[in-house]
Amino acid sequence: MQLRRLSHRHEWLVFILPYAVLWLLFLFGPLLFGFIISLHRWDPLRGNEFIGVRNYIGLMSSSRFLNSFLVTWRFVLFVIPGIVLVGLAAALILQFGRFHGRSAFESILFFPYLLNVSIISIIWALLHDPDVGIIRPLFIRLGVSAPPLLSSSFWALPMIAVATIWWLAGYRMIIFRAALASIPHELYEVARLDGSGPIRTFFAITLPLLRPSLLFALVITTVGGMRTFGQVILMTGGGPGTSSEVLALHMYRLGFDFLDFGRAAAVGFVLFLMIFAVSMGLVRILRLTGDLQ
Amino acid sequence: MSSLPRGQRFDPRVLARTALFTATGVLWFFPVVWLIGKTFTPNAEILRSAARILPVRPTLENIVTVLQRWPFLRWFQNSLTVTAGALVVTTVVSLLAAFAFARLRWRGRDTVFLLFLASMFIPWEINAIPLYFVANALGLLNTHAGIFLPIAAMPVGMFLLRQFFINIPQDLEDAARMDGCRSFGVLFRIFVPMSIPAIGALIIWVFIFAWNEFFWSLISLQRSRMLTLPIGLKTIMGAQNIEYGNLFASSLLIMIPSLLVFLSLRRRIIRGISISGAIK
Repeated sequence: MQLRRLSHRHEWLVFILPYAVLWLLFLFGPLLFGFIISLHRWDPLRGNEFIGVRNYIGLMSSSRFLNSFLVTWRFVLFVIPGIVLVGLAAALILQFGRFHGRSAFESILFFPYLLNVSIISIIWALLHDPDVGIIRPLFIRLGVSAPPLLSSSFWALPMIAVATIWWLAGYRMIIFRAALASIPHELYEVARLDGSGPIRTFFAITLPLLRPSLLFALVITTVGGMRTFGQVILMTGGGPGTSSEVLALHMYRLGFDFLDFGRAAAVGFVLFLMIFAVSMGLVRILRLTGDLQ
Repeated sequence: MSSLPRGQRFDPRVLARTALFTATGVLWFFPVVWLIGKTFTPNAEILRSAARILPVRPTLENIVTVLQRWPFLRWFQNSLTVTAGALVVTTVVSLLAAFAFARLRWRGRDTVFLLFLASMFIPWEINAIPLYFVANALGLLNTHAGIFLPIAAMPVGMFLLRQFFINIPQDLEDAARMDGCRSFGVLFRIFVPMSIPAIGALIIWVFIFAWNEFFWSLISLQRSRMLTLPIGLKTIMGAQNIEYGNLFASSLLIMIPSLLVFLSLRRRIIRGISISGAIK
């Protein structure tokens, strides 16, 4: 009887424990452990040596790290407007456009999201391929003499962004569509009775009510863009040179090519701080708008 | 589409828009069509006529070659194992934890919840370096459990379910408890059946994530017979002396499961994404 009451009072432990163990072992633990690694010259074979923040100082004077920092932001700047605008446009078309084949349109735009990053990268790398790709013949037919875009240090990154937009814009479309569908229909009725045209209605009703979803999408795509890895390692390997080497790839290279795990963990932690700061900053903006309304 | 009102079906403006958006859709889908066309094109022809989309003389040789050279079936089974493991573990631990946060009273609940909430911002990729050593210490490196257990540690599923659970009326729970149900009974007899849409959304989210997971699998899975499909495809891309036709055929083969799942569950997937999108 005593035992039974005890187990009843502590039953929350049974419910929370399985997840808490996983969380500690595979999510929060590694984050802390990563920070500890980043304070060491980490060499599992010859012994680890505590070196304080020297890995971080080393990063600040590494031109390759600073390059990957800039490349990451450049990539984010290409990819956010692409994903958000294409996703929003497609959602608006689906919500308000009257035309045949709407569900086919929705399916086609969404489908690439279900593919894995290897397939996305291989398709786009082959489309750009100078020997078998279709982009080069297309340019020649249009009379444009362009270099192979993926081997150009200027064009490689934007082209990875295009592949990423093709991959992920359909997901944003679905999210925006759900947000659009939740806007009360009566508001549009009122606007119509007032004689508002579609453009005015968009700026007076749709856009303000969509604002939380838009800001949220901004947070998610920024964070996603900063973590980008697969498309880059598969499409260009960070090249030509290091012109498309993003932070996640730089971290991977430091760790698993150069076996400098301390330095790699430091890059990871910097990336975490960046992502955390950006998310929190944008979440605050988001809440602020909530208060204003 | 039949959902258009009768009078609008042949409206010239509707037809003009249909033409415009059909063209957009065709352009968007073009890379997939091109991939399919090239898969059935003989190698010599792929190199000779890059501007052509469909093969002059279709062939199965590319598909046959890659199936003989790489263990696709094995990789497919591995992907299934990782995905199934992630689905089962995520669903079970998320259901239990979500119930503890939504319906049980205990000290420190809100603090723990906030801590879990904040951990949503821990990016999956940056944990890879320390996770490598953790998995190594636990003997999970190069195993499929080593892939799906960390996936199940992400808090998204738990939040999704908790959000759903807190809106289930207290009366229902009280009635079940009067009938002698303990917490497990309440969870599995009342909450689970009432949360099917949320559980469905969770399953879809985990499925897409686990089936396509790349970064951590790339690091953890080293032996060829353990690889999942995305990592297998990367191996093929990096192989020596590979012919273009093999690349096209491998990509198409690996795309087929996703294509089939999408064609059969299109509506459900899109609805599930709309639900989980409110959280993620």
